[in-house]
Amino acid sequence: MAVENSGRWRGLRTAAVLLAIWEIVGRLDLVAGGALPGISEILIRLWVDWGDYPRHIWATLYASTIGFVIGNALGIGAGVIFALSPTTLRLFRGVNIAAFALPPIAIAPILVLTLSGMAPRIALAALGVYFVTMTATVIGLSQADSRATDVIRAYGGTRWDILRRVQFRGALPSILAGLRVAAPNAVLGAILAEFGGGGRWGLGAYLLGSLGRGEPDRLWGIGLVATVIAGLSYAVFALLANRTIGATRAVTLNTAVPDATPLVTHPAKQIALTLVTIALPFLVWWTFIKVTGVPDLISKTPLGVVDYIFFGPTAESAQKRLLAALAETLPITFLGMAAGLGFAFLLAISSRLFPRAIEAFMPVALVTQTMPLVALTPLLVLILGRGTTLTLWVTISVTFFPAFVTLAQGLALVPRSAEDLPRAYGAGRWTEMRMVTIPASLPYLFAATRLTVPRALLGVMIAEWLATGKGLGNLLNQSRGFLDYGMIWTVAAVSVLLSVLFYQAVVIVERRVLRRLGMATAE
Amino acid sequence: MSAPDGISLSGVCKTFRGRGKIVEALRDVTLSCPNGSFTAIIGPSGCGKSTVMRIALGLESADSGEVQIAGTVPMQAAKAGKTGVAFQDAALLPWRSVRRNIEVPLEVLGRSAATVTAHIQNMINLVGLKGYENALPGELSGGMRQRVAIARALVTHPQILFMDEPFGALDQILRRQMNLELQRIWTETGSTALLVTHGIDEAVFLADRVVVMHANPGRIVDVIDIGFDRPRAPALFSDTAFHKVCDHIAEVLHGG
Ligand SMILES: Nc1ncnc2c1ncn2[C@@H]1O[C@H](COP(=O)(O)OP(=O)(O)OP(=O)(O)O)[C@@H](O)[C@H]1O
Ligand SMILES: [Mg+2]
Repeated sequence: MAVENSGRWRGLRTAAVLLAIWEIVGRLDLVAGGALPGISEILIRLWVDWGDYPRHIWATLYASTIGFVIGNALGIGAGVIFALSPTTLRLFRGVNIAAFALPPIAIAPILVLTLSGMAPRIALAALGVYFVTMTATVIGLSQADSRATDVIRAYGGTRWDILRRVQFRGALPSILAGLRVAAPNAVLGAILAEFGGGGRWGLGAYLLGSLGRGEPDRLWGIGLVATVIAGLSYAVFALLANRTIGATRAVTLNTAVPDATPLVTHPAKQIALTLVTIALPFLVWWTFIKVTGVPDLISKTPLGVVDYIFFGPTAESAQKRLLAALAETLPITFLGMAAGLGFAFLLAISSRLFPRAIEAFMPVALVTQTMPLVALTPLLVLILGRGTTLTLWVTISVTFFPAFVTLAQGLALVPRSAEDLPRAYGAGRWTEMRMVTIPASLPYLFAATRLTVPRALLGVMIAEWLATGKGLGNLLNQSRGFLDYGMIWTVAAVSVLLSVLFYQAVVIVERRVLRRLGMATAE
Repeated sequence: MSAPDGISLSGVCKTFRGRGKIVEALRDVTLSCPNGSFTAIIGPSGCGKSTVMRIALGLESADSGEVQIAGTVPMQAAKAGKTGVAFQDAALLPWRSVRRNIEVPLEVLGRSAATVTAHIQNMINLVGLKGYENALPGELSGGMRQRVAIARALVTHPQILFMDEPFGALDQILRRQMNLELQRIWTETGSTALLVTHGIDEAVFLADRVVVMHANPGRIVDVIDIGFDRPRAPALFSDTAFHKVCDHIAEVLHGG
């Protein structure tokens, strides 16, 4: 208890020091000629602008709350079905990976084309929630204590009895932890849809509208409000979770898409199963278009996209533009991701060497988990301008923090006794690190990589869209302006496909490596 | 015609296949426990004792062979509330208090717990957990949790009682006490009991017959009748005849 309190005080102290530095630097206009105003200046501006806020806040809150409810209903419902039927889980694996890996900004324009009013925002918020809650539900339900279910079965209890008396209650901590992570995601989803949606109200629309006016203090004010809303939504569920279950800490989301080995051993059936798994996301896409009933000219089915990019009258120019955009986007995505992961890894590793310094940094890192980091891109534009540096920094910042938290929390699970062993034989700190800390952190490094794949692409595309005028993000934004519907769909499909492919690649390497080392995948 | 045996297994085989490894857990196990009898199973770790019990409970299906509990298939007997079970590890629901854990079988069977509160309290007192009714499993010691499991096994007045090392985590003194209590309850209820245990003395003290199993593959090597008069008193533990039987069982156990 005492240790925890002192940690909390140290965290507060760090925060206070950071705020003080911010204030001084801001007041003296040290960053990019006043792009970073002092805290007090931001708050004063917020006070002046306050009249504008309620409608924007209301719009964002409305979309994210409805999206949160719908996404959770879907997530929990699907989670229950998946937990009951491994075959269904296996069939929907493709859909689930796509839901996890798709960069929201890429499909925001599509949602705006096919849905109307608040629906695109709600859909994107729901999408941000679905995956987290679904995973938490599946894991929670399937981790049910088999001994407890045996008791129910031994008295002739049905599947429903087991679900009701053992599994749901047992899954509650996991589900609540999921909701906690999902809540800020909903806010972020709504804001992203506002970026791409062109509506009048909402914090994202406000941010976008204020971007051209060169008023840093206002932009910072909006960013602050967005952060507070996301942070509060996290806090509400954190409180709820603590009330119900006591402290169970899971600040990061589980990035392992639940996998199930269905009870099919026949090779032909296996192949059929795999084919359906791959086909299902496309079927969902196709169904979505048919259900929304938007004319073919605007909405493209999978075949429509293939037709556009390979056979249409503008196919050649479209391919050229797409490849050029990819050539700009992909290198910087990998670079930013590698840098973000690298920093996170180094910092987490050294946390074993300098535990106190890291302990002070941890609260800051945890707070960033609830911040809609990518929604703060306009602020970075102010500081860094519109060049490639901006893209790189956005990417590093959206990958670094979650990766660091995943790694640091994972490393905290390494038992002290594992480190005591080399130490008992007189090993120095570096030997101990080489023998214990680094190998032990590998599963978490992979988990962090999986987590950052879609984020990196999202960060790059947002920076490109809002600021640099390059790459996929820009192509998407331009196509919106030119009403080039084929290209909008193509960019969306390609970016989702890339994300999924890269995610799968990480999963395959991860399995190989960890199996060789006899380790289990980190969840 | 006499009533069907409480527990009857004939020619039961069970093989576990998992991740490239094949374990022949049971080979041709035949065992019948007459109504009202007390049978103890003893054998080295991993010889399939728990598996026998799980098959008899219908939690696991046998690859071949016949299983009958009170004349019906295991699941049917369970649904009729004829069986009670205490597992090797207590298997309590961590979010339910002691009392609410003991109520679980009643709830699953659709019986009202409200009408038998006195009975539930008796069970709690019996296993010596008076005053812990509202404690959560996490607040109990390992032995206390096992006692909750025993109370839970007894709460439905089972006609057939399965116990898998129910006293494993108890100290020697408490274990003797519980042995006596178990004998008393079993005599009063007239149930058919199947006890899996590692304690030879416990098996000999309680059982009418001791079944000895060997591993690889799991099989029954001998069934030894225990003829001591009932009720058996604690003094029996220091009886020479008692020790002779124990020694004989130890020999069989070690492949003598
Ligand atoms: N679900 C399972 N999957 C695979 N193998 C199993 C399974 N359950 C049991 N086994 C194997 O069957 C054998 C018998 O197991 P069982 O639990 O019946 O042993 P036991 O006699 O109860 O041992 P102990 O005294 O240690 O409790 C063991 O070799 C075990 O590895
Ligand atoms: Mg056992």
